[in-house]
Amino acid sequence: MSRREVEQDQGFAQFEKFLDEWSRRDFLKRAGGAAAYMAFMAGGLEFLAACAGSTTTTSVTPKKGGHIVEGNFSDIRTLNSMLSSDTASNQLIGLMFDGLTNYKKNGDLIPALAADLPKTSPDGLTYTFKLRSGLKWSDGQPLTADDVVFTYDLAYASKYKDVASPRRGDLEKYVASVTAPDPQTVVIQTTQVFAPFLANHTQYGILPKHVLGSLAPKEINTTDFNSGPSVTNGAFKFVKWDKGQQVTLARNDNYWNGPAYLDTYVYKVVPDSVAVTNQLKTGEIDVGPVDPSQFDAIKTASNVVMTEFPVPTFTFYAYNLDPSKLGGQLFSDKAVRQALLFALNRQQIVSAVFFGHGTVANSVEPPTSWSYKDKPKVLYSFDKAKAESLLDGAGWMKGSDGIRAKNGQKLKFTMITNAGNKQRESMLTVMQQSWKDIGVDATPSLIQFPQLVSQIVSIRTFDVFLVGFNWAIDPDESPLFHSRNTAAGGFNGADFKNSEVDSILDQALVTLDKTKRKQLYGQFQDIMSDAVPSPIILFNTGIWGVSTRVQGTDFGPFNQFGQRPWNSKVWVNDGK
Amino acid sequence: MLAKYLVRRFLASIVVVLGVTAITLILMDRTRGTYVPGIDLNPALRPEDIARLRAGLGLDRPFYEWYLTWLWNVLHGDFGRSMIDGSPVLSHILDRLPNTLELTGTAILLGVLISIPLGVIGALRRGSKTDHALTVVSVAGFAVPQFWLGLLLILVFSVTFEQHGLPWLPSSGATSPVGGGDILDRIEHLVMPATVLSFFYLSLWSRFTRSSMLEVLSQDYIRTARAKGMAERRVVYLHGLRNAVIPLITLVGLELPGLVSGGLVVEVVFGWPGIGKLAFERALQYDYSTVMGIVFFATLLVVAGNLLADVLYAVLDPRIRYA
Repeated sequence: MSRREVEQDQGFAQFEKFLDEWSRRDFLKRAGGAAAYMAFMAGGLEFLAACAGSTTTTSVTPKKGGHIVEGNFSDIRTLNSMLSSDTASNQLIGLMFDGLTNYKKNGDLIPALAADLPKTSPDGLTYTFKLRSGLKWSDGQPLTADDVVFTYDLAYASKYKDVASPRRGDLEKYVASVTAPDPQTVVIQTTQVFAPFLANHTQYGILPKHVLGSLAPKEINTTDFNSGPSVTNGAFKFVKWDKGQQVTLARNDNYWNGPAYLDTYVYKVVPDSVAVTNQLKTGEIDVGPVDPSQFDAIKTASNVVMTEFPVPTFTFYAYNLDPSKLGGQLFSDKAVRQALLFALNRQQIVSAVFFGHGTVANSVEPPTSWSYKDKPKVLYSFDKAKAESLLDGAGWMKGSDGIRAKNGQKLKFTMITNAGNKQRESMLTVMQQSWKDIGVDATPSLIQFPQLVSQIVSIRTFDVFLVGFNWAIDPDESPLFHSRNTAAGGFNGADFKNSEVDSILDQALVTLDKTKRKQLYGQFQDIMSDAVPSPIILFNTGIWGVSTRVQGTDFGPFNQFGQRPWNSKVWVNDGK
Repeated sequence: MLAKYLVRRFLASIVVVLGVTAITLILMDRTRGTYVPGIDLNPALRPEDIARLRAGLGLDRPFYEWYLTWLWNVLHGDFGRSMIDGSPVLSHILDRLPNTLELTGTAILLGVLISIPLGVIGALRRGSKTDHALTVVSVAGFAVPQFWLGLLLILVFSVTFEQHGLPWLPSSGATSPVGGGDILDRIEHLVMPATVLSFFYLSLWSRFTRSSMLEVLSQDYIRTARAKGMAERRVVYLHGLRNAVIPLITLVGLELPGLVSGGLVVEVVFGWPGIGKLAFERALQYDYSTVMGIVFFATLLVVAGNLLADVLYAVLDPRIRYA
């Protein structure tokens, strides 16, 4: 090894520390997008998720022509809608492929390739979609119900089991059949009543059967189509992908919603969130997500308009409630869990760690959800005295060393999160300090993100973990809180088991009536506010910077990444 | 003699390549946890789905089996497909190689062209203000981290210059995303990353040239040359420099593998679509096959670079013999 390699290694370690919002490490974040997936997030892009506030209030007639460059720090993996599981890929796919339905920015379902929202059979098991008439692929071929059937086949039919689709889990479980009685009609038969089905599973970009239909299942995983689709049905068609740099798209004249105003759409991969800010300022990029830490650096730039809105992305910590573990012994009494939450000044965390860009959580449901209950049964404001009296009442008394103990057991534990995420590291420090103030000895410990996820879903030897998560549009929260998901591989790593919660969540999933569901999720939020197995620190906001030359964007909580029904309506006022 | 030496070196190289690739694989395999390359875990995925996805990538087998299969395929010229996007690893490498060569080649060339004159000046004016100034610059070049210098240049020559209406340089990428790609455009993008990278080479090699030159200039044959009335210019360049640069060749030779892997930090900071950035990103995503392909490739070059430096040394300096 030459001396210089050693030098570079040291430089590299500093480099990592330096870019604290270093986001390329977030392998598993990237929730949301076409599938409205939920996943644990390493931190980065998810903080930028977000709602309302149209950036355009102009009455000027849109001009045809020109280009925009959208910048982001995540590279694309695949352009195949049935293989993708990350936000960046979903975003590009959303520009080129429409699904049966789409979302408005508030999460309301709207038809896309379907002419209307589907008819649901009285038993709630069958959805019938009518496609728009005259749908065409970018190569002029007609887009028919056969293409829809083919696309869904890839992710649920047994003959396509070798297709590496991350969608298969849910689709295999819920889809009985997808058929095309005629070229304009798609019938989806489900195996059971499943309330989130339309919101979760009808946005996948439809793929061209006449291009991919002849491929063997394994060939679907590796076909050139995945890195350069020759045929599309969305607002844009594929031109080229300069690997590691940018993807270039051009207008699709056959788009059902009218040809896009823009000639060219470029998705540029930039080094990190600081680069997004820099390049918005220099005009090298026209659109990009802004990290909260960069907000002040960019708000003075006269060429950039900022949009900010709440998002269903959040940071929470969870107690290990498994009675066979240390956590179970310390935290099984809900008074302890409540006391620890009362002792936290979460507003201060939002101000100091997120520069005020976020909202202290009152409920386990996000404020962006139609099921959100603003004031559930128990509300937690910062109240140190209350925290101390709760602990006293529960029998945890301060010892001579200032640490509380009960029956010889000290209130002493370790908190884990992923190294490299400065925001989470800071939060653990605040928690350590706040809890020390009430006689609780909590020590932060930083581990790598893949190890953190392993801790949550399988190993589960932690006492307390802190991580980010993102909810889909539907208010179902079974993945984190249903006892079924305490099984290995499930996301309920906290081992939270509450039979009342289980039955409410199960009932809400098979109830199609929204009013009834809202009532059930209200009860759920009340119980959760009392039990606080996994307190949420804050819900984030999404912040987007858009160049003043770009018109027609309309970012919102559910129109950030994959789903943007306004793709073809974006235009530039300088025609360049 | 040389042939025997080469054979021995070649055999040793095989061990090095095997060792480096095996260790890389073990490190990745031991740290990946529940991660499935290319798939973000979501709660809808059942354990059997995850098992199927892993098996599809060949990760259901123990790592040594994976390694042996990989090795066998590589020996047959097949580097496999990326676990993230399913496209051939070789095409990924070949896509990025020209960009990396453009950057590192320029930096090494600049480094050599500038460092030798600087080193000579430093040696000839030892102790002068110029020499001290050059020393300060060299030490700085050696001590300043590349990422920091890179960010500083971006802040000054992209952001600040643009805001003051001055001609500014693009802050990332190898070409402009729209209408770019001509020579001028590429040069504009190349200026900052190549400067940062060459600054390091320049510091290292100019110090080296200076001390080597000082040593040579104190030799008897230089005094002889001067004594017989040879012009100073001829003494310095013909007798001095020619002998002084021989050891430098080894150093530059050792940097040749850096043509492929040396620009990692600079590539990441400037979003330069090269091999280093690819390796960095794919390592974070546990793309075994791509990382292994790049590591294999880079190791071969390190081994070949070292060998080439040794051989060149022998060719240029007949006093060197291998035993």
